[in-house]
Amino acid sequence: MRTPRSIAITGLRSFVGKRLLRRVREAEPDAQLVGLDLQRPYGLDPAVRFHAVDLAEPTADGRLAELLRKEGVEALLHAAFRSQPRADLEADHELETIGSLHVLHACAAAGVRRLVLASSTMLYGPRPDNPNFLSEDHPLRGHPDAHNVRNRVEVEELVATWSRRHPDVEVTVLRPCWIMGPSYEDAITRYFARPLVPTLLGYDPLLQFVHEEDCLRAFEIALLEGRPGVYNVVGRGVLPLTTLLRTAGKRPLPIPAPLLYRLGAYPAEVQSGDPPAGFYDYLRYLWVADGERGFAAFGEPEYTTLEAWMSFVSSRRMRRYR
Amino acid sequence: MAAGDAGNGDEGERDALASALQGLRRELRGRLEAAESAVTDRFGEPDLFEIFERLRRAAGTFGMEERSAEVDEFGLDPISTARARRLLEWLCSSWWRVDVAGIEDVPRDEPVLFVANHSGLLPYDGLMIAHVVERETGRRPRFLVADWLVTLPFAQPWLARVGGVRACRENAHRLLARGHSVIAFPEGSKGAAKVFADRYRLQRFGRGGVIRVAIEAGVPIVPVSVVGAEEAHPILFKLHTAARSVGLPFLPVTPTFPWLGPLGLLPLPSKWRLRFGAPVATDALGADAAADEVLVSRMTEELRGTIQSMLDADRRSREGVFSG
Repeated sequence: MRTPRSIAITGLRSFVGKRLLRRVREAEPDAQLVGLDLQRPYGLDPAVRFHAVDLAEPTADGRLAELLRKEGVEALLHAAFRSQPRADLEADHELETIGSLHVLHACAAAGVRRLVLASSTMLYGPRPDNPNFLSEDHPLRGHPDAHNVRNRVEVEELVATWSRRHPDVEVTVLRPCWIMGPSYEDAITRYFARPLVPTLLGYDPLLQFVHEEDCLRAFEIALLEGRPGVYNVVGRGVLPLTTLLRTAGKRPLPIPAPLLYRLGAYPAEVQSGDPPAGFYDYLRYLWVADGERGFAAFGEPEYTTLEAWMSFVSSRRMRRYR
Repeated sequence: MAAGDAGNGDEGERDALASALQGLRRELRGRLEAAESAVTDRFGEPDLFEIFERLRRAAGTFGMEERSAEVDEFGLDPISTARARRLLEWLCSSWWRVDVAGIEDVPRDEPVLFVANHSGLLPYDGLMIAHVVERETGRRPRFLVADWLVTLPFAQPWLARVGGVRACRENAHRLLARGHSVIAFPEGSKGAAKVFADRYRLQRFGRGGVIRVAIEAGVPIVPVSVVGAEEAHPILFKLHTAARSVGLPFLPVTPTFPWLGPLGLLPLPSKWRLRFGAPVATDALGADAAADEVLVSRMTEELRGTIQSMLDADRRSREGVFSG
């Protein structure tokens, strides 16, 4: 399939949605862009045809199919996911899992030719029996406490089944690891931005990051050129947590695991923006993904794990002097 | 005027008070200076910022000075490894007085899969084989570690930094494909956890996975026998119920543990012997042979027999458990 003439993005206010809109406008000024979200984002490019859609509504699939057909959408990026959990777990489930189901129905009805799904390597789950590098074929075991992760594992299962029933549609699933960079922000980067970082006493897991630009480039290539398949989107190299903190001049605060789990549970319950439930298991066990397939498809990433981390750290350091 | 009179009276009192305060201040300053010069004479000029900065750095890098800024993809840290090398060399030459035999036959310019008998709870045997191979050939092999140790607090970070990798097929494949030699213990925890009465009796070699990995990677297999490690941590019997409450597979009872507390975890100074057998080439078989179950199980049994006979020969020829 050639470059799509009309491209739709769900989740315009998410990081991937917002930034990809800009990148696609620059790369393909002639393509028609259709934006979908609950509300119109501030400062939206006037050339974008915006539609306010609530994906969780019972009849959202029909309405969305109508819209996609009217706009002649050929490629769709589905990025309408929470970047951090909210207190209302049911609402998150409706939006993420049921919303994705509606998007899939609408894509089938409107004859969309290409679908790109924003996923995450967090879906593999931190497990003591993970191999050091998880390939794309590894089962997605998620985390029992992290409900956003659970929702998105369900979404991946839905997409895999849907893709088998619609073999003529190019389906790309991109699984980035933790994203680092000057502008990306979520509960994870907020955790790492603290000067004193609580860690698990006696554990020093290997972590990997991907730089926001490398991540967005993979999405852009998948959306505009098409790379059907499932890919981990990660940076090269891994680093232990304590080494990362030391290079950033931050101080680890090692806390015994049972105590930290108990302490961490309180802010997670009220969803105050602190690390979400289950987060500390991701600092305990391995869940590093193998990026070779992604490197072959989207090119060598410009930033290694260490460079992505340094880019994040130096941008946060400057922020203090603004 | 009454107010004026009162004012004059006040002024007189104030002057007296002021001169008294002046005197007190002079006195205090004199004494303080004397005290301060006594301090600076002994410790030099104190700089609060300097002290604070030093404390801050000490707190922030506690236990971290000896780490590299970058590690390889399995977490091996060159500085930690170099530091551990001193301890391992001492354990190897002074504590266990390790005799090495047959290292000349180990291929030097290609990755190798070392297959050894397993004993003792802690991976001393893996550490020693890795150390000896590195000392003799200049290339450090990685040793595979059981799951429960990989997730044990404090053990996990250290093992990863000196070259321990979780034992699983994917990891062994990746290591061999990247040109690293690998030390595997196909007995698994059945071997590590056997009681003293069963010492040097090789357990089942898993399901032949170790042979399959070698065939698929086309690397030679080097059988290794470790004699002496069984006596470093002789397990008299095992407690299962008590262990489950602390999250371990079982709790060993050795002559020293748990009687001596953490001290009991120190290994006994038995006399060790490492023997490297003749390499078994697998590259001529082709990768398809890995699917031949009968061939794989025959090769597994042959390898087990080789290691068992090496063990038996070395046990017969040693003078005593601790002497030599």
